[in-house]
Amino acid sequence: MTATVSSTPSKPSKQAVPTLRHVPPGWIGRIIAALATAAVLAYPLVSDDTYYQNMIIISLVFAIGASGLNIITGFTGYVSLGQSAFIGLGGYTIGVLATKFDTVSPWLWVPVAGLVAAAVAVGLGLVSLRSRGPAFVIITVAFLFLMQQVAVNWEDVTGGTAGLLLPLPTWGIDVINWPFYYALVAILAVQLLMTWWIRRSKFGMGLIAIREDETKAATIGINLPVHKVAAFVASSVFVGMAGAVYGYYLTFIDPLGMFAILISVQIILTLLVGGKATLWGPVLGAFLIEPLNETVNNSLGTLGGGNARLFLFGGLLMAVVVFLPNGILPSLAAFLFRRSREGKAGLVGARIETGGSLESLRKHVTVTEARATDTTPLLAVTGLRKHFGGIKAVDGCSFTVPRGSITGLIGPNGSGKSTVFNLIDNTIAADAGTIVFDGEHIEKVPAWGRAHRGIGRTYQITRLFAEMTVLENVVAAQRSFSLTQLGRPAITGKEAAEASEFLAFVGMHKYRDQKARALSYGQQKMVELAQVLMLDPKLIMLDEPAGGINPVLIERMGQMIRELNSYGKTFLIVEHNMPFMLDLCDPIHVLARGATMASGTPDEIRTDPAVIDAYLGDDFTSTRQDVH
Amino acid sequence: MTQFAQNVVLGLLLGGVYALVASGLTLIFGVMKVINIAHGAFLVLASFISYTLWSALGIDPLLGILVTSPIIFAAGWLTYKVAVEPIRTAPMTSTVLLTFGLALVLEGAMGAIWGNNSTSITPSYAEESFSVAGLFLPKVDVYGLLVAIVVLGALALILTKTWLGRAIRAAAVNSTGAELVGIKVSSVAALVFALGIGAAGAGGAIIGVLYPFVPGSHYLWIARLLAIVVLGGMGSLNGAVLGAVLFGLAETLTAAYISPSWATAVPYLVVFAVLLIRPQGLLGSHLRQDSVTA
Amino acid sequence: MNTFGRSRLRALAAASVLALGLAGCGTDSAGPDPIKIGASLPLTGQFSQPGQAALRGYQTWEAMTNESGGLLGRPVKLIYKDDASQQNIIVADYNALISRDKVDLLVGSYSSLLNLPASAIAERNRMLFVEPAGGSPKMFKRGFRYLFYSQQATADKTGLAYANWVAGLPANIRPRTAAYPTIDDPFAAPSVEAIREVLEKAGVTTVYSETYAPDTRNFDTITNAMKAANPDLVVHGASFEDGVGMIRSMLRAGFRPHWLYQTTAPSLGQQYADAIGPANTEGVVFAISHTPEANTPGNAEFVAKYQEMFGEPPPEDAADGFAAGQMIAAAVKGVGRIDQTALADWLRNHTVSTVLGDLSWDDDGRPEGEFLIGQWINGEARIILPKQYATAEQPVLGWQPMGAKS
Repeated sequence: MTATVSSTPSKPSKQAVPTLRHVPPGWIGRIIAALATAAVLAYPLVSDDTYYQNMIIISLVFAIGASGLNIITGFTGYVSLGQSAFIGLGGYTIGVLATKFDTVSPWLWVPVAGLVAAAVAVGLGLVSLRSRGPAFVIITVAFLFLMQQVAVNWEDVTGGTAGLLLPLPTWGIDVINWPFYYALVAILAVQLLMTWWIRRSKFGMGLIAIREDETKAATIGINLPVHKVAAFVASSVFVGMAGAVYGYYLTFIDPLGMFAILISVQIILTLLVGGKATLWGPVLGAFLIEPLNETVNNSLGTLGGGNARLFLFGGLLMAVVVFLPNGILPSLAAFLFRRSREGKAGLVGARIETGGSLESLRKHVTVTEARATDTTPLLAVTGLRKHFGGIKAVDGCSFTVPRGSITGLIGPNGSGKSTVFNLIDNTIAADAGTIVFDGEHIEKVPAWGRAHRGIGRTYQITRLFAEMTVLENVVAAQRSFSLTQLGRPAITGKEAAEASEFLAFVGMHKYRDQKARALSYGQQKMVELAQVLMLDPKLIMLDEPAGGINPVLIERMGQMIRELNSYGKTFLIVEHNMPFMLDLCDPIHVLARGATMASGTPDEIRTDPAVIDAYLGDDFTSTRQDVH
Repeated sequence: MTQFAQNVVLGLLLGGVYALVASGLTLIFGVMKVINIAHGAFLVLASFISYTLWSALGIDPLLGILVTSPIIFAAGWLTYKVAVEPIRTAPMTSTVLLTFGLALVLEGAMGAIWGNNSTSITPSYAEESFSVAGLFLPKVDVYGLLVAIVVLGALALILTKTWLGRAIRAAAVNSTGAELVGIKVSSVAALVFALGIGAAGAGGAIIGVLYPFVPGSHYLWIARLLAIVVLGGMGSLNGAVLGAVLFGLAETLTAAYISPSWATAVPYLVVFAVLLIRPQGLLGSHLRQDSVTA
Repeated sequence: MNTFGRSRLRALAAASVLALGLAGCGTDSAGPDPIKIGASLPLTGQFSQPGQAALRGYQTWEAMTNESGGLLGRPVKLIYKDDASQQNIIVADYNALISRDKVDLLVGSYSSLLNLPASAIAERNRMLFVEPAGGSPKMFKRGFRYLFYSQQATADKTGLAYANWVAGLPANIRPRTAAYPTIDDPFAAPSVEAIREVLEKAGVTTVYSETYAPDTRNFDTITNAMKAANPDLVVHGASFEDGVGMIRSMLRAGFRPHWLYQTTAPSLGQQYADAIGPANTEGVVFAISHTPEANTPGNAEFVAKYQEMFGEPPPEDAADGFAAGQMIAAAVKGVGRIDQTALADWLRNHTVSTVLGDLSWDDDGRPEGEFLIGQWINGEARIILPKQYATAEQPVLGWQPMGAKS
């Protein structure tokens, strides 16, 4: 393959002579998927081997379970070991209803099972909103065992440990498995369709943002509870239906079989092996793991059986976590992608462009003309307090940010500046104090609400969504929230254009399609700024915008701030770079030990003895050359 | 009234044994931020080893702790070096899955070596009790409590009074900083992991006398241990003790005054309730949310 | 991924292919056209102990049948699989036995929880399904035509002989109060419930009745509560571990009810005695479907053969498995060919002599016999009821534990 130097990060290009190597992996994948689907659909018609039919049926159940799990775990990043609870719930729904209403066909209850699973998922979602990471995993396990206990103890309804029986199917012996088989295929198809749609929608983008950095996602306007609960529902509704079909297939539903932890383990193993956050990964995983499971159980003679299966599952789980954490499909995709990029220069070394002017942005940015009569501050904080155990990070801090100003916040390290930012945008909750933004008290408003009202901020240590591209990062910001909006495509043409312009403004347009994790620190800072601009905020809070970037960029930063300010954007900036600040900001507040110790114009601050004593130092002189 | 007192006494004694076993789990989490789902499996492994020592060599299980604990300690060290250390930097959920896999592998191994038949260790004092003021205190529980006190006391001493303990606490709070001041964090981590598992090993010997066990028993134990550690506050040794005692009481009193069939649901309800209402547990500390970790 | 990682990926792929390839290699059958009999049993997992015993019962039957010339002039060959006590595995196993191994006949697994889904597969395929265990009454309420049980009675009837005997004792000996702790499982609970009904009608007052979860380990609280209620008789619905656990807990608490009946645990022979101490077994009553000493048809030969093959006397579950084999053999001989429907009809209309006694069934495949009642006397399990099979002259009146074993 000839080495080509390309400066545009585009998809792998077709060479002059298309060989298999150069067919985009996407198409190969699609062909394989189509063939496999045809094979699965045709199988019962050509063979009445019930052993393989059974294997496929069970594999389909796991494929659906893992596909559902993919939404909450793969997309949203919440690892759940309780997925088999939804299978159990589906099984019990059909069991309970079929035994109560034995004149009606049990098939009627399959959609009901989906609704029951979804309802419980809503409950579980609401209840676990505050838990993250390992605490969440533990809650899902506890949830699974609790469901088992309820099934055992609620005897009147569930039959207790004796379980429930479903009527034997009455259709002919030759087609005995067909309804179950095709019902599951249909459910899997719908599940995959939903997964595909989610990935392409704003909802899916929000989920991935949550996975990458939940707190950051909230500050760019993503409504966390709605996203998370909806993800839960999506991950459970078809799994419940599959559970109902599975229960009907077994004809017997009992607590131990329906709520088994090993099924949850197999589901998560399936997802991990196949590849999280891919469309076909769960399906591939299911059709690898389940046949392997049955083979190990019976074809290894005395080495097989229950203990061998434990070794298999346990060993595979450990091996996947250590060696193949991304799963087969993503690893394959990464491998192929790398091969296609061999010899090409990356973009990372290119210079950041000087950027466009803001004129073109006028149509994307709300321009606020300063009104002479409007003298109320845009932001007023009073008596803010935040203690971390014995440490008083912020202790009675009060200041105002006048409309249309570029206000500065300076102070020694540890004076609480970043914490104040975090309190204002609700990255952390204040212990006491009031925050009035644009005339409204926002102490009780969650982070995304504050973003919707017009507060945007960047972080001292940049926080971007590593797995998303630069463009996706910028578009992820949501100015407002509505349920219908979730259904729209992830990136509309209009949004892409808008984001591109913001990126051009900050000089990062060439990096549009790069994954954010490939960027350098300075580049990330620029992208974060574009992200914030996408929110079209009234108040832009910058946390050390000049830190860690080269002087030319610092200058550019100052220019950009002034330009945006001329359109009526208010700024609140935290910085240590004194010349930068004294040149740019008015007024300036000085923070020390968690409280405001001085406020005033740059000149006043520069000459204030208390400030000099606490922060600037006796020999401080501010000249344009004095830049470190 | 004596019946209530009897139930309370039983609950407290049970709590003592739970505290011994839970201490290792919370220690491992506190220092390494690893939730060791395989803790229950090591516990059952210790029970099996104690059983073998007892049935083949006639060694009393409680005395046998002197042999069993070091064996389990070594197993813990090995496990850390081989399985846990490679993924030290991975997110916490990876270690949860890894240790879950390990628990399954251990279960399979125990089943292959010892079989799935119910096993119990039955020294003569297994069915005897001390009689105090009209209440009966099962001997095994009392011995278990004594062992728990000794082991927990030793752990506490190590953590607070020795250089090793300081190194452990430093590594727990800031491993990069600890490296910078000369603490070899990987060795400390392995040691802590092994210590925690070793404590479980001591508990396993006692538990093997208290209850019959099979390889699959580890699920029941890890559910309980997680509930206790979550209740007390993950990472807090004092919390584990407090949580264990409260938990033992809750189980006993539920079985006595509500219904035995709900007694085993108690762990899961506890976990749920605590993680929702007070996620840091009774004595645990809140992690700062503004830190940039996933 | 660097080359090292890439090779790992290849290794993983190769391993998967290899494992899947193994699926293609089945077990080969030897011999001239044998009759293949398929079973899936829990050889590992929760039910591994009785599952292995049942397998041995089948194997003893296979050996003895082949020694006497086989069935219809053909040798029999047992093809078995391990379902690891898991429902989704047993479903796969029976499907495999039917469609891949193409067995001629099926025989069942252990435990109602496994046999319920397995029997549905057999019924769907219209194949005879004789199960050696799985006595939950639910099994027989489905209107199945191919299902039969190779024990004397379903779970709810196992203790009736004992209950009736207690009810018939003279008033000065008969227990006045009773406690009914039971594990929540489909076998023990119905058994205890049925006993309780009979005894309550006979005037025995119930002072304690509680169900505990199957994974309960700590019985001290239950024991404590029972001790406070002070019953004369304790009827304990148990499987194995909890049966042992409860007794040890009772001993610790110094609670010695005058009479003790337990399901399942005491029927497991030496293992039970070792677990609670042989001296503590004296007087414990239980229901059992078989003992090696029972005076039932063909029992002596069965016990001898089992002893020869496995070096110890057969546990109850093995005998149940053997009886299942005997039923199948009787039906095949009676019908003269392997015709599943004819075999089922034959069983419905005939009585079969087995090592458990004479067995017969109603329309739903439910057996219509009576369980044996056993009691531990002088460190041995003897039969006390019904009188015609009794191996002890006189039942011991009450539980007499001698304290802890040394």
